[in-house]
Amino acid sequence: MNPASAEPLLAGHNVSKYFGGLAALSSVDFAVYPGEIMGLIGPNGSGKTTLFDCLSRVQKVDKGQITFKGEDITGKKPYQVAHMGLARTFQVVRIYRKLSVLENMLLSRQWGGMGVIHLFRRYPKGIEERARDLIHFLLLDPIIEEQAGNLSGGQQRLLEIGMALMPDPDLILLDEATSGINPTLVETIKDRIVELNKKHSKTFLLIEHNIQFIGDLCSRVFVLNYGEMLAEGTPDEIMNNEDVIEAYFGMDGSDDEFDE
Amino acid sequence: MVRLVSFWQQYHLGRWALIIVALALFALPLAQIIVPERKLVTNSLLFSFTQMFMLVTMASNWNLTGGYTGYIDFGHAVFFGLGAYGTGVLMAKAGWIFFPSLIVGAIVALIFALLIGSATLRLKGPYFSIAMLGTFVAMREIVRVIKPLTGGGTGLTLPPYLNRPLFYYVTLIQAVIVVVFVWWLIKHTEFGQSLIAIREDEVGAEMRGINATLHKITIFTIAAFSTGLVGGLWAYQNTFIDPDIVFIESRTLDLVMIVMLGGLGTIAGPVLGAVLLYWMRDIIWANFLQFHLIIQGLVLILIVLFLPEGIVGSISDRSGGTTIGRLWGRYFTAEEDTAPEKAEVGP
Repeated sequence: MNPASAEPLLAGHNVSKYFGGLAALSSVDFAVYPGEIMGLIGPNGSGKTTLFDCLSRVQKVDKGQITFKGEDITGKKPYQVAHMGLARTFQVVRIYRKLSVLENMLLSRQWGGMGVIHLFRRYPKGIEERARDLIHFLLLDPIIEEQAGNLSGGQQRLLEIGMALMPDPDLILLDEATSGINPTLVETIKDRIVELNKKHSKTFLLIEHNIQFIGDLCSRVFVLNYGEMLAEGTPDEIMNNEDVIEAYFGMDGSDDEFDE
Repeated sequence: MVRLVSFWQQYHLGRWALIIVALALFALPLAQIIVPERKLVTNSLLFSFTQMFMLVTMASNWNLTGGYTGYIDFGHAVFFGLGAYGTGVLMAKAGWIFFPSLIVGAIVALIFALLIGSATLRLKGPYFSIAMLGTFVAMREIVRVIKPLTGGGTGLTLPPYLNRPLFYYVTLIQAVIVVVFVWWLIKHTEFGQSLIAIREDEVGAEMRGINATLHKITIFTIAAFSTGLVGGLWAYQNTFIDPDIVFIESRTLDLVMIVMLGGLGTIAGPVLGAVLLYWMRDIIWANFLQFHLIIQGLVLILIVLFLPEGIVGSISDRSGGTTIGRLWGRYFTAEEDTAPEKAEVGP
C-alpha cells in the first residue's frame, strides 16, 4: 500500500478547537488512507478524543476543514456523517443499556434515510441475520439476550464495536477499544480488527494507550501533544522519536503505565 | 405456570382479550338504544367512559414524547387547550359547525407544536420540561388577554349538543386509533425503533445515523395534533370553556401520573393507567370526599417508590414479552427457553 498515491479517505486540514482559552486542538493536519489501520496516540489530555469528536461531528470545529471521501463534512451533523459511512465508538461506552445485546445491534443498523418520508418505513428484513452474524463474529453469542447494562466492561466494548460495524461503515474510529479489557479479549479484538481490515477492507483509526497493540496493528501512527501534531510515522519510528519519548513516556511515565 | 404462560402466548390470548374488550366497549351504548327502559347503561356511565377514553388518548400521546423519546413534557395540556379554544372560537364566534372546527382546532395545536417544539426540543432533560411548563402557563395568560377572540376570563359558550353516545363513539374510536398507531409505530416502523434509540442514548443514536431532532419534532407534532382533537371534543362536550378550566395544571399532571402508573414507554401502560386512575379517583372521591386527594397522592407516592417502572413496565420488558414469563420459563424448563422467539419481535 502506498498512501501517497491514493486519495485520503479522511483528512483534516488546520483543524482547531478551543474550550474557552484552552486550545484543545491547534492546527492539526492529518490524512487517513483507505485500507489503513492508523493509530492516534498521545498523553492524557492531548486532544485525542476531542479530535474524534470533531471528526464524527459530535463537537463543532472552530477552525479548519475536515473531508471524508473527498467531501467537506465540517458543517455536517453526526447522523449525516454516519450515513456517509463513518462509525465510531466512545471512550466512555455508549450503548443502549436497558436493551438486550441483540436489540442494541438491531438499533444500530443502517437507517433507511434522514427525511420525514423515510421515517415510516417498515424495518428491513435480513437485519437480524446480520446482527446475529456480527454477534457471533464478536463472540457475544452466549449473552445475546442479556441486558447490555449488565455486561462486563470488555463485553460492552465488544458490543459497541459490533454496533459500529452494523451499518457496514467504511471507516471506523475506535476510542480506546482495549482499555479495561483483559489480555485474552484484547487478542480477540486485535484478530477481529485485522480480519475486518484484510477481508472486508475496512479502514480504522484507533486511539490507544496500549503501545503493544498499536505496534502490532498499525501501519502509521500520529502523536498528539497539547493539541498539536507532534510526530507522524511508522510505529517503530514513533517509538524511537525523541520528542515523543519526551512527551509521552518521559513526562509522566508512572501515570501512563497505570493507564495501560 | 409455565404451561399457562406459553398457552397464553401460543394462542395470542392477550390479543383476543383486547379484541373482546374492544367489541364490548363498542356494544355498550347499544344496550341503551335497544332496551332504553331497562336503564342498563345510563348517560352518566357513558359520560364516565368518554372521559376515560380521552385520558387514554392523551396519555398515549404524552407517552410518545415522554415515554419513547424520554422528553418529559409538563406542558402537554397546552395542545389540549389550543384544540379546545380553536374549536370553541370557530363555533361560538365564527358560527362554524363542529367537525371542521375540530380539525382546524387540532391543526392550530399542530402548528404551535411545530414552532414550540423546534425551539424547546433542542433543550435537554429538565430544561425541556420547565420550558414546556412555562409555555403552558404563558398560553393560559395569552388566552385570557386576547379577549375579543377568546372571551377572556369570562370564557366562551359553545352551542350545546347533548348526545352522549356520539361523544362516546368518537372518543372511543380515537383512543383505539391512537393506541393501534402507537403499537404499529413502535413495533413495525424504523421511526418507532429510532425513538427508543433516542431515549436510550441521544448522542449515540445520532452517531449511528439517526436524525434525533427531526424524529423528536415529528412525534411531538403528531402527539399535539391528537391531543388537540381531544381538546376540541372536550370543549364541545362541556359546552363551556374558560382559561382556568381548560388550562388547568392537573390536566398535565394527570397524564404524567397515568403514564407513570401504567408504565413509561410501554404501549399498554397509558391505557391501563388511565383506566385505573379514572376509576380509582371515582371510587375514592365517592367514598372519602375530604381525603380523596390525600389518598390519591399517597397511592402515587407508593407507586413511584415500589413500582418505578409502572405496572406494565414491571411485569414486561420493552419488547412486549413478559419478563416474569421469561424468568419462569428459564427457571422451570432450561431447554425450552422462549427467549430466542422473543428476539424476533425486535426491540
